[in-house]
Amino acid sequence: MNAPLLHVGGVSYGYGAAIVLHPVSLHIAAGSRHAVIGPNGAGKSTLLNVIAGNLVPPAGDIRLGQRPVTRLREGARARLGIGRTFQHPAVVEQLTAAENIALAIRHRRMRRPKVQAALEQVGLGRHAGTPAGQLPYGQRRLLELAVVFAAQPQLLLLDEPSAGLDPSEITHVGTIIRQLPDTAAVIVVDHHLPLVFDLATTITVLAAGQHVFSGTADEVREHPVVQAVYLSPATPDTITANPADQEEPGGAATAGKPPRLRRTLTVTADTVAVQEPAVLQVDSLHAAYHGATVLDDITLSVDAGSVQAVLGRNGTGKSTLLNTIAGLHRPHRHTRIRVAGVELRPAQPADAGRHGIALVPQGRRLFASLTIREHLALAARRTRRQRQEARWTIDDVLDLLPALRDKLRRYPAQMSGGEQQMAAIARALLTGPRLLLLDEPTEGLAPQVVDQLTGTITRIAGTGVAVLLAEQNQRAALAVADRISVLDAARIAFSTTDINGPATHARLAGYLGVSTAGAAA
Amino acid sequence: MGSTSATIAVTGLGGLAYGLLLFVVAAGLKLILGVMKVMNLAHGASYLAGTWLAYLFADGTLTGLALALAAGLAAATVGGAGLAALLRPLAGHTEQAVVTLGLVGIVVWLFSRISGGSSLTVPRPGLLDGHLSFAGHGYPIYHLVFIAVAALIAVVMHQVLHRSMAGIALRAAIDDPPIAATLGLSATRIRIAAITVGTALAVGAGVLGAPVLGPAPGVDATVLTLSLIVVILGGAGTNIRALLIAALVVGMVDYVGAVVAPGLASFSLFLVVIAVLVVRRQGLRTAVAA
Amino acid sequence: MTTTTAATASDAAREDHATGSTSSGRRRVVWRVGRWPAATGVVLGAAALPALAGPYVVGLASSAVVLALLAMSTQMLAVAGLPSFGQTAFLGVGAYTAVVLAASGITDGPVQLAAAAATSAVAAVVTAPFVLRTRAVSFLMVTVMIQGLGYAIAVHWTGVTGGSDGRHTPPVTLGHGHPLTSTPGVYWYAITVLAVAAAGTAVLLRSRLALIWRGHAGHEPRMIALGYRPTVNLGAAYVAAAVLAGIGGALTVAINTFVSPADLSFDVAAAAFAAAALGAALSGTPTMIGALAATVAIVVVRDYFGSNGTGPLYFALLCLTVPYLRPAATGLRTWYTRRRRA
Repeated sequence: MNAPLLHVGGVSYGYGAAIVLHPVSLHIAAGSRHAVIGPNGAGKSTLLNVIAGNLVPPAGDIRLGQRPVTRLREGARARLGIGRTFQHPAVVEQLTAAENIALAIRHRRMRRPKVQAALEQVGLGRHAGTPAGQLPYGQRRLLELAVVFAAQPQLLLLDEPSAGLDPSEITHVGTIIRQLPDTAAVIVVDHHLPLVFDLATTITVLAAGQHVFSGTADEVREHPVVQAVYLSPATPDTITANPADQEEPGGAATAGKPPRLRRTLTVTADTVAVQEPAVLQVDSLHAAYHGATVLDDITLSVDAGSVQAVLGRNGTGKSTLLNTIAGLHRPHRHTRIRVAGVELRPAQPADAGRHGIALVPQGRRLFASLTIREHLALAARRTRRQRQEARWTIDDVLDLLPALRDKLRRYPAQMSGGEQQMAAIARALLTGPRLLLLDEPTEGLAPQVVDQLTGTITRIAGTGVAVLLAEQNQRAALAVADRISVLDAARIAFSTTDINGPATHARLAGYLGVSTAGAAA
Repeated sequence: MGSTSATIAVTGLGGLAYGLLLFVVAAGLKLILGVMKVMNLAHGASYLAGTWLAYLFADGTLTGLALALAAGLAAATVGGAGLAALLRPLAGHTEQAVVTLGLVGIVVWLFSRISGGSSLTVPRPGLLDGHLSFAGHGYPIYHLVFIAVAALIAVVMHQVLHRSMAGIALRAAIDDPPIAATLGLSATRIRIAAITVGTALAVGAGVLGAPVLGPAPGVDATVLTLSLIVVILGGAGTNIRALLIAALVVGMVDYVGAVVAPGLASFSLFLVVIAVLVVRRQGLRTAVAA
Repeated sequence: MTTTTAATASDAAREDHATGSTSSGRRRVVWRVGRWPAATGVVLGAAALPALAGPYVVGLASSAVVLALLAMSTQMLAVAGLPSFGQTAFLGVGAYTAVVLAASGITDGPVQLAAAAATSAVAAVVTAPFVLRTRAVSFLMVTVMIQGLGYAIAVHWTGVTGGSDGRHTPPVTLGHGHPLTSTPGVYWYAITVLAVAAAGTAVLLRSRLALIWRGHAGHEPRMIALGYRPTVNLGAAYVAAAVLAGIGGALTVAINTFVSPADLSFDVAAAAFAAAALGAALSGTPTMIGALAATVAIVVVRDYFGSNGTGPLYFALLCLTVPYLRPAATGLRTWYTRRRRA
């Protein structure tokens, strides 16, 4: 037997303190079709970036054919025959479609007919002279695929090729990928499981940075552990396939201890203005991201003291929804966002902040050059108006999040992922919010820390703050939510307060789980 | 022997004053670069404007100096806000830089109209003129006072940046502008504040430094180049100490070099730049990714 | 280093970190109708200038040729996405190469040009690894520093440059022919060199290399993922731009029979940078035609109309108005369509 085309031996990766990929091994034969699936934060993109050379793993080795490439940079690996796509189509917007493809074809001979053939292959034959920046999002994705195919790589890495596409476009992309010559091996990372089952002969399942299972498509479909992982990722008793190395650095320090409040919080729910039932009222929200419509006519409201969880697959626009409400993303006109009855001006984050919206962004985004104490002081500085209705003091927040108390002098890079998340929440609370937006707070956290976090969120809501939570970790979301809403295909597919009803679970499985429905036989 | 070491001391004092002057200008440039991500080619022209104000108000008294400083700060406020407004509609680095070049043109034109294109000498205030004798050698009092004032500015800047809410807000805005905005920090206001304070530092340095490096054609380009070298050598991040060290090195090399080996001065500066960039393996990318 | 850029780019896209950046491809303005007649007219007019205007204007036009070469040099880097302020340093390398040759008795014009091109290319190769670690504002910042250091060296290296007083050189010769002394003769020599350089530039900008530069300018992570080496390809742009500037340096010596640090001063760098930038600001994308047109505009406005001392002011007004024309036009169009819809 020949050596595999790609050998990945025990590579791992961490961002700062959070380990996002525990040691993983993979063997990809020439010409094979392999998929990597798993919930958000499972480490799929990280694995892809480690193989492509964008990220240098601290441990493990990678060989392409017989050749070790672990120390090679991305460009050098590309020259050895690794091609890749990015989550947002990476095409040169200033160049025409034909010029983009011409860049991929190194040999001068027959370049022009080859360019035209590559464009025809993805159905862009008529757009050869169109600048890539003027193509709609779906066609830019097709163009990127054509560019990467034209380079004729031995190994092709596709990062979320279906993200941001509508169902017919996804089918089209699937057809194009299937038409690739057998000489090229393909690794595809995608959330759209029908596409994955359609394309891949072998599948690797990751969850919370751990390698759960690898097998054929049929084995994966029937594997009970995979089913369980997809429904409730990062749960210790379900990840039995690879129990090693679950501990998160520093996370252990805070784990196990339930947060005890040394004194009761100064404000309780009944002091919150009761005459204003809906803290957040969003009407007909439309938003696009990189030209793709991500949110289409979203209407939702969140009441004081309640937690609403927004669930949905990767790329369904959860973050865009939260960012739009926080003023970081400009919605289309006619979108109305009101906080306590006051309409917000679009894309004015400072304005949103002053009206009582606080965001805990995805990836925490703490300020690298500020200590934790400085983060808290900055958030707690108030204008005169805000001082009168001040809700949280630094002491309150430290009572709620005691893990931060002895970390005040540290910089974010010196803290574990869980502690960073606590700091991000503390920063948001100290602005005295009416509405707290939490974007994937459990991402990259150890299970114990997740449990602690859900307790914290419940307590925050108990003080009368409205909470809107975007979450991929379904188990965590269900544990805290008063209402869940599921985003699918840019719309709210369904919304219910019946959190634990069997009907709800069945529908959730349909939208989020390892659904075999729709997969090609 | 004694006279040689005294000469070295006097020259060193001059170098120190010159280095601190560059530090104040460079801190202003760094502030604008860090917050606005704009190459302000008019930064040297701001210094030139400051020296000209010092010339205009100089009447040999401290009052004249104070008046010049007040006028300079007022001009910097107006100019900074104006520049922020001018840069707002433009997206590209090149367009923004060209607009700052336009401001250079206006300052240079005004200066040439007023001075007739020649160098002007700015007298020192009478109280600060003269020399302080120590160990048989005279040290210019103005240099000593200037060093004290510039050192005070450095300390105040460090304290503001690391101890005050304004400094925390500024660092947050440099690190992650959108998230800083969600905390209620208006990006527009921080930009205006940064460009105003940055310009005020250059103009203020011009007013105070006029007797050291006075109004002359081309002084704007010299100051711009030297302060850029300081910023690049000072490295990334909001590190006042690194910026101060870089400024003192550049000031010493340029000033002492000009006295000791006039022919070598610019080479030695060039060699310092190369040496630092080679030694620091991360090189320019970290140096300028402020 | 460059791979980190790519990593952060793909990383930032882990889900939808929305910060609201929408970049629309800029439209290229192409004047197809009347392009050749217009070009022929310009060339004929330029060639006939000594017959149409006095020696002052012809001398001004000769110096404009040098500025045009500097502007083209700057624009070549702009095509590769690199905003440079420091091309005068390479002009200095070329000019002082010609001075050294002339001092040792080599007065042949083309030989001086070739030598200047070679030395400035070497200077670019040596500095490229440092300079090309930076992009965008950082690149601009570093090249401003290079401009300043180049000027300072020209002032202080008196052995070669004669310091601020400059160096006089004998007029250049062509082949074994007569020394070039008449104003029209010098002018024709200058525009011939410019025409050859422009033709070479035009060929280069239609080549695959230029396509690669534009690819790097537009989306560096994509280019790296295709296996391109940014430092090598952008280095080629850096060297080509330096050669253009170096030729401009040798031409300065030929035109003025004199060179001083003033020829590579901040003002000269500013004019060249502005010519390239204003050309790009008008057409929406860096073009050589735009750079050349802006060069003519700057020389006419600053040196011809502004010869009484108001030149810097006129130049400033150009810099302060032209960049706003396109944003203003776009704004007006949006306002108009919105009003019609409403």
